[in-house]
Formats: sequence, C-alpha cells, structure tokens
Amino acid sequence: MITDLVILAFVVGLLTVPVIIGMIEWFRHFKLRMTWWKWLLSAIWYLMLLFLVLAAFTFIGEGEPVAGWKLLGSSAVIIVILGAGLVRILLAGRENSQEE
Amino acid sequence: MSQKNSNKDNGVSRREFLKIGGAVAAGLQVGAVAGAGLAAGKDPSSLTGWQHLGDNTQFVNRARLVAREMPIKKVGSQRRPEMWESPFGRQSLIMRDMMQYRRMLGSVNAGDERKDGLGSKPSLPEKETSPETTGAIQPDNKRMNFPPPEAFSEPMLTYYRDNPDHYELDRYRIEEIMPKRREDEAKYGDYYTLINAWSDSWETGERITEPPEESDFKIGRRRRIGKPVPFKSKTHAAELIKKVTHHFGASMVGITTIEPEWCYNYGLRGSSERGSYEVPKHWKYVIAFGVPHQWEQVNSNPSCGTSFDAYSRISIAARRLETFIKSLGYPARRHSPMDGYDLIAVPYLVKAGLGEQGRHGIVITPETGSNFRAAFVTTSLPMEIDQPIEFGVKEFCERCKICAEICPSGSISFAKNNEGMNTRGYRHWEINRTSCYNFWMQSMGGLGCRLCLIACPYSRKNNWVHRLTRNIDKADPTGLTTRGLTAMQKKLFEAPEAHEFLPPPDGHFANFREAPDWLQVRKYLDIDVIEPKAGDK
Ligand code: SF4
Ligand code: SF4
Repeated sequence: MITDLVILAFVVGLLTVPVIIGMIEWFRHFKLRMTWWKWLLSAIWYLMLLFLVLAAFTFIGEGEPVAGWKLLGSSAVIIVILGAGLVRILLAGRENSQEE
Repeated sequence: MSQKNSNKDNGVSRREFLKIGGAVAAGLQVGAVAGAGLAAGKDPSSLTGWQHLGDNTQFVNRARLVAREMPIKKVGSQRRPEMWESPFGRQSLIMRDMMQYRRMLGSVNAGDERKDGLGSKPSLPEKETSPETTGAIQPDNKRMNFPPPEAFSEPMLTYYRDNPDHYELDRYRIEEIMPKRREDEAKYGDYYTLINAWSDSWETGERITEPPEESDFKIGRRRRIGKPVPFKSKTHAAELIKKVTHHFGASMVGITTIEPEWCYNYGLRGSSERGSYEVPKHWKYVIAFGVPHQWEQVNSNPSCGTSFDAYSRISIAARRLETFIKSLGYPARRHSPMDGYDLIAVPYLVKAGLGEQGRHGIVITPETGSNFRAAFVTTSLPMEIDQPIEFGVKEFCERCKICAEICPSGSISFAKNNEGMNTRGYRHWEINRTSCYNFWMQSMGGLGCRLCLIACPYSRKNNWVHRLTRNIDKADPTGLTTRGLTAMQKKLFEAPEAHEFLPPPDGHFANFREAPDWLQVRKYLDIDVIEPKAGDK
C-alpha cells in the first residue's frame, strides 16, 4: 500500500541528490578544503537535524504536540550549538589554505 | 575577451543555480522529513488499538525473547486465592453481613434491598458484581454506617482482623465514597452521557449455568460434543488454534498448561457449591489470548474510558474458540471478562509467553504494552506450549515508577523492586486492589480507572520512534537508556497530577488525554451539563 509516508520518504530520498550537489558548491564558494572526516562530520550534523525533526513531528502526528514542540525546541538549541562548532572546524580549513 | 566573460557568466549562473537549488532542496528535505514524521505519527497502522486484527498483529518473534527462568518465583507455600481476598469477590460477603447487621438494628426492610440489589445488573462480570455497582447498598441515597469489624461473621471477621487496612478501605468506600459518588453522578452525570452509553453498549452477558463436567462437554445447552478428532501433532494443534483465535478476533495468543494454584478457590461457575472445588481433570491446557482497547478512548482514562470495549471483544472471541474446540470433540471452557473466570489471568499470561508483569500488577506485552485485556479457554486438547518471555520490563519497572506516580489512589508500590513481596506463595508485583477499587468508585464514566495501563511507556503507539527506543533499551545492559527514556517520558509526555483525577473539590475528574470528539457531550447533545472543575463544592 502506498501511503503518505512512503511518498514523503521517496521525496526525501530524491532531494538528497540536489542537497549534496548544493553542498559541494557552497563549500567551493567558501573555499573550504574538505577532507573525508569533515564531510562525515557535516553529514552527521545534517542527519541529526533531519532525525530530530522527524522525531518531533512524529510526536505531533501521534497526538502528543507538547512532546513534539518541546523536543523541537530543545533539539534546536543543541543543533545550533553543534552547527556553530562545525562551522568553526570547516572555516579553520579555509584559513589554513589562505595562509599557504 | 567576450568569450571569457560569457563562460564566466555561464559558470557563475550555473554555480549560483546549484547553490541556491541545493539550499532550497535542503529546506524542502527538512519540510518533507517533518511531513513524513507527521504521517508516521498519524499512521493508523501504528495504533495499538483493537482494529489490528489478523495473525500478523502478534508481530514480535517471541522465540528470541524466551526467559531464562519463570519470572514469577515461588517464595513460600502456595495456595489458591480465596473469594474474600479480592475486593470484588468479598462484595457478596460484605453485603450478607451488612444485611444481617441492618436487620439486627431493625432499621431496614431487607426484602426490598434484595429485590433491588445484587444481580439487578446481571451483565457485569460475575466476580465484579458488587453491591455498590448494582446500587444495592443505598437505594434510598442515605448515608450508611459500615458495621464495626466484630459485627462481621466468618470469613470476613478473620479477614478484617488480619487486614485492618482493608477494613478501613472498605468502610471508607461504603461510608464516604459511595454517597459522594451518587452526588457526583447527580451533578455531573450528564457530562458523561456518551461515555456511559459507549461503555454500556459493550456489556453483553451470558452465564455459564452448569459445572465443568456438564457444560464443558456440551455445545449450547443440549448437544454433547462428539469423538475427539485426532491432530497430526501437538505442533499442528497449536498452530491451528492460534490461527483461528486470531481470526476470532484476538490480537495475541499463547498456550500453556494448567496450574491448580492459579485457579480460584471459590465460586466455580455453574456449580451450586460456592466454596472450594477440585480443579477439573480435563483442564490440562490453557489458551491465553487478548486484545487492546480502542486507542482514542483508552487515552481518555479514567473518566472517559471503559474496560468493556476490550472485555466484550475478547469475550466474544472466547465463546467462538470454546465452541470451535468443542466442535472438534474436546471439552472446553471459556474464562472471560463478560462470562467470568475460574482462573487468575496474570500468571497464565506470563507463563504463556504473552508478556511480563509490570509494577502496576498487570501484564505488559511487547506489541501493545499494558493496553491488553485477556480471556482464556481451558481444554484437554493436546497442544505444543509456549515459553515465558523477557524483554526488559523487570529492569525498566525498577527505574520507571510512572504508574505509581500517576495513580490517584496510591495503590501502586514505589519499592525499588518486588523483593520481599509474597502473594499466596509467589513473588511478584502486587498492588493494593482495595484502594484501587475505591478509586474506580470515585471516577465517572465507564466503571474503572485504567490510568496505569495507558500512562505506562510501553503503551505508546507502535511507530518508529517508540519501536526504536524500546529496541535500544532492550539491547543496553547498562540501564542508561532506561534512565534517559524515563526522564524523557516524564519531561516530554506531560500528564495531569495524580490528585487532578479525583472528584471535585480535590480534583476535576481529569483524563490522561482529552476525550475524542465523539465522546464530547457538548459537541453532539442538546443538554445542559456541568463541567467538573477543581474546587467545585
Ligand atoms: S487502575 Fe487506577 S487506581 Fe487502580 S492502580 Fe491503576 S492507576 Fe491506580
Ligand atoms: S509505568 Fe513504568 S513502572 Fe509502571 S508498569 Fe509501566 S514501565 Fe513499569
């Protein structure tokens, strides 16, 4: 049976291609020197964002909106802090390359 | 020069396009993930309600969970439960002694009370029929004094002497709770019109009127069962019985053998003797099965829920299964909420591998958590039996205590574990059933409470988040996941405080979650109702 869930999962999968291409371009734009572990860290951060959004909206969908919004609020803080740390790590690569 | 510029322009525009496209795609992806989350949360197939029928409902492979040993331990000499130990079972004895006492005081016409009293609502399960629920004690709405302990005759005299706390709880119910309940019903009753109608509609009853030696060998009142049809093997018999039990409406089925200590020591249905009885020889196997409650209604406990939806469904499945087995030439007897039980439910459910017992005293299944109501068929049909299972409930309950915190009557233990508990020679979680029953009589709507059943984290929906967390918890031997999950459960899934479930003025008949719209009187009925508020006098 094709449910809304299956269709949305398909859409999420399709969108992964332009997201990755876009990321490559943004990294080029900021002249970031990407190594495999920087890619891994970026991917983990992004997947964490998607996972928490998925979990929070699942709670909202199952009729527990308070749980959903609380999870979204608290995870937003964590995601922003981790995101700031990730940006510093990525930009550090750029500064090094400029010094060279 | 112009060639170079045009390349650059083309390059820039292509790159800008990819960058903007990528950012838009990421935004869309987050949105699509949110939509997928909403769809996963709403997905009707994740409801753990009765609408899951068919044999794929029991989706957990129990072979992987088989327990190292029987979870219910023997800790002393075992004996069968007596009628007066259960708050339901002792109702008729209390009634008898109260009548005697009142007659002695010469203040009441006992004949009228009998006429209006016990049995005036025969559809209640036999062991739950009580003078309170049938209105027998107070037809005239006057306050009634509970006799002093020494005014009771045996066995209540000894029972109350040994259990003064139960005397006090029974006295409190009859002298305080019941008059208040009648006042609450007069004032707020209309507010619960729909849930009462919904609850009543599930109450169907048909009594077993002959002892097992007769009724278990007959289809209907007259037709004797035929010669037993041989099965290819016990495995084939078990497989067939499980399949048809699912088709008869049960969500989960397990098979085990009879344990005489787990049969009541009184009130064998259909027997003229009310006292102790020999467990029939042909009760060799016990088929244990159950269904969950309807999802939205079970979330609106205690005052906008009922037990009777699941009771009714599983009782009908039990009747069908009993007839099916008899038609194959084997004696069979159903034990179900609507037709009464001759055996205790929880240990058989554990032994048949349907789940583990939780702190709240009832069984938690891996599929629907505590949202589960059981029936049984005893028979001589030889079948392969199932093994008890373990999926981490014992350890989880030791840390969780959510049911104990939410219980409005304080009936659930906060003890670290069930060490030292001894019920008729077995160690297992035991709640104070009398104070629990007292709260049933305080709440409105369909008789009962069921709050511990729905507040239990194992009763959450069967969607990916809850499945994932349960599986991680099962695999983590450190207990850290349990700690994290219970903390999250308490922080994220808010519920009213225990006192809010009480009647006004202490509480406001709160429910765990808001009642579904189809149980909201104001939406559909043109009647004046008083919504209960805390502080109401
Ligand atoms: S049914 Fe209600 S009163 Fe009884 S133990 Fe559970 S939560 Fe407490
Ligand atoms: S609410 Fe917690 S402590 Fe109570 S039965 Fe469920 S898991 Fe165990």
